[in-house]
Amino acid sequence: MSIADQALTEEMASRRDMIVCRGVKKWFGDFQALAGVDITVKDREVMVVLGPSGSGKSTLIRCINRLEVHQEGEIVVDGVEMTNDMRNIEKIRSEVGMVFQQFNLFPHLTVLDNITLAPIWVRKRARVEAEAKAMELLERVGIPEQANKFPGQLSGGQQQRVAIARSLAMEPKIMLFDEPTSALDPEMISEVLDVMKDLARGGMTMIVVTHEMGFAREVADRLVFMESGDVVEVGTPEHFFTNPTEERTKLFLSQIL
Amino acid sequence: MTSQTVDQGTAGFSGHTRPPIWRNTSVLKWLVQIVVLVAVLAVFWFLAAQARTNLSAKGIPVSYDWLDEPANIQLGEGIQTVDTEERRLTMSRALWVGMVNTLRIASIGIIVSTIIGITVGIARLSKNWLARKVSSIYVETLRNVPVLVQIILWLAILGSLGKLTADSGPIPGWVIVSQKGISLPRVFLADGFYQFVSMVLIAMIPVWFVRRSLKRRQDREGGNTHATGITLGAFVVIAVIAWFANPVMAFLGPVFGGVESAWGSIPQGLMQLVLSVAALGGAVLWIKRFLDSRRTPAGLAKLIDDDWFRMIFAVVAALLAVLVLVRGWPGLSSWIVNSGSDLFGVISDKFGDGRGSRPIDAMKPTLSEGRFVNYGPTGLTMTVFYASLFFGLVFYTSSFIAEIVRGGILAVPAGQSEAAAALGLSRSQALRKVVLPQAFRVIMPPLGNQYLNITKNTSLGIAVGFSEIVQVGQTVYNKNSQTLAVFSIYMVFYLACSLSISSVVNTINRRLAIVER
Repeated sequence: MSIADQALTEEMASRRDMIVCRGVKKWFGDFQALAGVDITVKDREVMVVLGPSGSGKSTLIRCINRLEVHQEGEIVVDGVEMTNDMRNIEKIRSEVGMVFQQFNLFPHLTVLDNITLAPIWVRKRARVEAEAKAMELLERVGIPEQANKFPGQLSGGQQQRVAIARSLAMEPKIMLFDEPTSALDPEMISEVLDVMKDLARGGMTMIVVTHEMGFAREVADRLVFMESGDVVEVGTPEHFFTNPTEERTKLFLSQIL
Repeated sequence: MTSQTVDQGTAGFSGHTRPPIWRNTSVLKWLVQIVVLVAVLAVFWFLAAQARTNLSAKGIPVSYDWLDEPANIQLGEGIQTVDTEERRLTMSRALWVGMVNTLRIASIGIIVSTIIGITVGIARLSKNWLARKVSSIYVETLRNVPVLVQIILWLAILGSLGKLTADSGPIPGWVIVSQKGISLPRVFLADGFYQFVSMVLIAMIPVWFVRRSLKRRQDREGGNTHATGITLGAFVVIAVIAWFANPVMAFLGPVFGGVESAWGSIPQGLMQLVLSVAALGGAVLWIKRFLDSRRTPAGLAKLIDDDWFRMIFAVVAALLAVLVLVRGWPGLSSWIVNSGSDLFGVISDKFGDGRGSRPIDAMKPTLSEGRFVNYGPTGLTMTVFYASLFFGLVFYTSSFIAEIVRGGILAVPAGQSEAAAALGLSRSQALRKVVLPQAFRVIMPPLGNQYLNITKNTSLGIAVGFSEIVQVGQTVYNKNSQTLAVFSIYMVFYLACSLSISSVVNTINRRLAIVER
């Protein structure tokens, strides 16, 4: 069994591969950010990526929707390989939603316009339809009353929930979360995590980079520990929090828990 | 009376005891403003009086009487260059010609340098290596050479161009670049233009309704109903038909003639009444909207003294306007009646018999005694003086605008384009929908500065002998020694230009402001 498929239950192993990374390498100048990453994410799986800062967690998920371009290895998303082909990139991006640490909402547009922008311009939806869908999503993340406000008028937690709704509006099969709660005040973290738990229960395939151990323990199917651009250990939450194999994983967990 | 009203009003709403006047901040705020205004005016008055006495002692009293004297100035170009029986070239007329020349070069310069600047600025951020390098070289070269040097260089280049030997008549060929300047055929509004425009406007009304319903359908059902394409197509078809069929609109001539006589027969008293009602109604409407803006979901917000001052001033202003209309200047109403009637007469004339043919026509520049005829029925010419000033200013300013645009785009956080890309927007969609709207917020204030700069830098035309306001003014005060009077005219003129530009820029800025809390 390759490292990518470690700790998969039989049921999970029989599912379709949604994301496959094989030997993915990435350099920023002289600095090697990814040193040959192998990971497989199955359909409806929630994978949490842990690791110290600079370990390549963010770079990895940014490669998956090509915000960064990997230099070696291959990335296959739902059967489509990430290459220089514009059509493949568009196809992958339309299936993969992303939520950022800094929310990255569009400050010049209202909450509703933030959510409907891509459905109207990329998917060519009718405005009425896109707005109805957006209101539905805002209900789901619990802030329908903020629809006509601007991002600057919302709290951090509300902004991040809008960002999640904005990604969901494109009806992605996969959601990538890049430290979604790291820029939030402590009392707002749970409202965002609740939305993410809800998504996970709904069967969304997710890769989550986070330091929220409670969330990882509760929601993750598998955890991945990365260091220096390499996958050190893959396992179930139970394995990770009771008896991790690798010394480095133990050290990291002892510092963070 | 004023303060009593304020008392009652505020007391009625707040119920607090009022502080004495010398401690009341809102009274003090207004008082300070009035005192500062009076002080500033007093200082100016003092300086002006001093200058006047001192100059009178030297035998050159400041006056503006010379404005009506004949100019006897050689003007290079402009709306009027020679003194004729019908149109005297007085000093004031000569200065006006200079102002128009300044405005001509400033307004076209602003437009052209903005277009070049935005293009080059975006090109500097392009992923295309060649576009990036070429635009970098453009910016680095042009902004590092003084603008005066560039203007004189352009004069030297244009002056060394081929000689145009024809002496009179239209130019040979369509575009001529010569030592006399750059000449293009001029497109002008011909006889049928008004018929053409009215016909197109009327025919576009139903098209507009169709466009609206198409857009609604797109919003409702999605997909693309091609609303804009259909509108443009209909416009082209209508324009082609109207190009040939426009004489049928001649019936509008008598219609406007009827309006002319009807408007002219409005009695002065009625016009005064209507205008007074409009002034009072405007004040009432303004107060109503003002109160609406102070309304919160819980009801009318507590009004502060400042709000009461504003509403009282609105009423006072309206009453003053009525007083002026009825008592102070009754002639204004009859002037509106007469000039309105004249305006409709002019429009009626445009639709007169026998007009209506081709709406737009082109003409080649005409030479007369070896010189281009600048105005009148002739082509478009840029004299070498105009062209060298124009190119110098436009290229110089556009290099700065390019940097401003580049800076504005870079000021938008990278996360914004990443979020747009992650949502699947293409690069150009991300630029149009996400990055540029935010960049313009940053770009607008310094862009306004560049517009002010290009307007003021037109005064460098003096170096190449372009007849803009400063050059004309200098000739004037060399003749009559009225330096101070001429400079006061400069100042008022440039101030008016600058204030107009900055008020436009400020309005746009307010529109672009991002809402926070």
